[in-house]
Amino acid sequence: MRILLQTIVSCSVLLMSFSSHADAEAMQTFERMCTAAKQLNYDGVFSYQTGNKLQSIRIIHRADQQGEVEHLISLSGVAREVIRSNDKVINIYPEGETVQENHRPLGRGFPSDLIRRLKSASDYYQLSLGKQERVASHYTQELVATPIDNYRYGYRLWVEKDNDLLLQSDMVDDKNNVLETFYFSSVEVGGDISETSLKPQMQGNEMAWSRSGQGEVIKPAPKNNSIWRIVWLPEGFDLVTQQNRFKARNGAAIEQQVYSDGLSSFSIFIEKIRARHSHLHGGSKMGAVNAFGTIMNAHFITVVGNVPARTVEKVGKSIQYQGIE
Amino acid sequence: MTVNQNELLSALVDGELTGRELDDALHLLDTNEQARMQLQRYQRGSDVMHEHGLAHHQIDLTGRISAVIEDEETYSSITEANKNTAQIIAFPKQFWKQAASLAVAASIGALAVVGVMTQPQNQLVPTAQMASVEVETTPMVVAQTGKRWTVQEQEVEERLNNYLVDHNEYAGASGVFSYARVVSYDMGQ
Repeated sequence: MRILLQTIVSCSVLLMSFSSHADAEAMQTFERMCTAAKQLNYDGVFSYQTGNKLQSIRIIHRADQQGEVEHLISLSGVAREVIRSNDKVINIYPEGETVQENHRPLGRGFPSDLIRRLKSASDYYQLSLGKQERVASHYTQELVATPIDNYRYGYRLWVEKDNDLLLQSDMVDDKNNVLETFYFSSVEVGGDISETSLKPQMQGNEMAWSRSGQGEVIKPAPKNNSIWRIVWLPEGFDLVTQQNRFKARNGAAIEQQVYSDGLSSFSIFIEKIRARHSHLHGGSKMGAVNAFGTIMNAHFITVVGNVPARTVEKVGKSIQYQGIE
Repeated sequence: MTVNQNELLSALVDGELTGRELDDALHLLDTNEQARMQLQRYQRGSDVMHEHGLAHHQIDLTGRISAVIEDEETYSSITEANKNTAQIIAFPKQFWKQAASLAVAASIGALAVVGVMTQPQNQLVPTAQMASVEVETTPMVVAQTGKRWTVQEQEVEERLNNYLVDHNEYAGASGVFSYARVVSYDMGQ
């Protein structure tokens, strides 16, 4: 009788665990999708569409023992380029005749937190498998991530069935309206990527070259040391990282706190005011990205993220200064 | 320029002023040309100290970029065995998976912002509010079209774009394409 009871309890716990998390197969698809983008060689053109706006970008990605190298070229308008080599990013601005060299702020320190992020995402989204469709002449499996509340957007992702590369991504609001969509119109996966294709197309003339310093990474959970208190956060959003660094142009100190529920994320930027500047006061948006800005104790406070306007506003209004007046 | 005024400007550059002192410094800059020149000198000095100077060079772009890339340390765990295959891997290694997506998002983001930051500023439609540091209670009108940050002052838009670039370093797995949203502004404007 005791064994039977234990068996029933164990099965119940297993069932509850399974039902409270994502569909197992959907979760595996999600994991494979994340892997593919890093490990595959691919050369393709993807489009971004919101409303009646369309932009095309070519992306060439190579992965080998030296790591990743990636080359992006804007195919519409000015041929802007980005070349990324591991955590170094070089932006080429033909129209401004400038080149920017940046390090990804958190470099290699950040990924260690991704395990927790990936796990936590399934608590705040219902992951499920959708239809099987063709995207860019490839057969894909649709993956649907439905949020549990209206403080985050939902996603529909189309993943290539054979190599697991993400071929289309739709972001949807709480009424299932598509806010924006990204999709490959063509892509070749797995071929050799030549050295030439990873080099900049534009040849150098008189260019301004700027370089930003690497940020000083502060490991997660130093909240109690901050002079800023975030009183309200949507359920499931935790501090995933925090950093201080200097702004490239004027050396102003900027604190960035990144919060994520595993899929959606927003950043809080706190920038010391060094001279008279203007700043966002209230809300603004660009596509599905929302921002909320205010000024507090001689600091610019800005919340930016791929979350609804109500989220950045509520977070922004809950920030309190706890330093010495 | 008095010693106190110089100290005030120096503290302003160092971001140490708040409240009344900040107001005094801003008023000084408003009313004193010499103070504005002195502030520029302090800022240049600060930039040099922090190695944030922007230098103009006659450069071989291709060569220099190649050199920068080659100089980059590598940290990939990718091996020949898994080079062209996507597999489910054990959880302790999962961070590599999302790191890939984040990296792509970062690059796309950088590309996107290039487009926005170089747009002309004379096509903006005012719909939102802005405030300057000095006159926080008298908001300026800015635009909000949903296609891009639309503000009347370029420095504000640039700041938002820089924030967006930094933020997109951490946009999750579905953020593979997230930065490309910004690029769309370039079309049809």
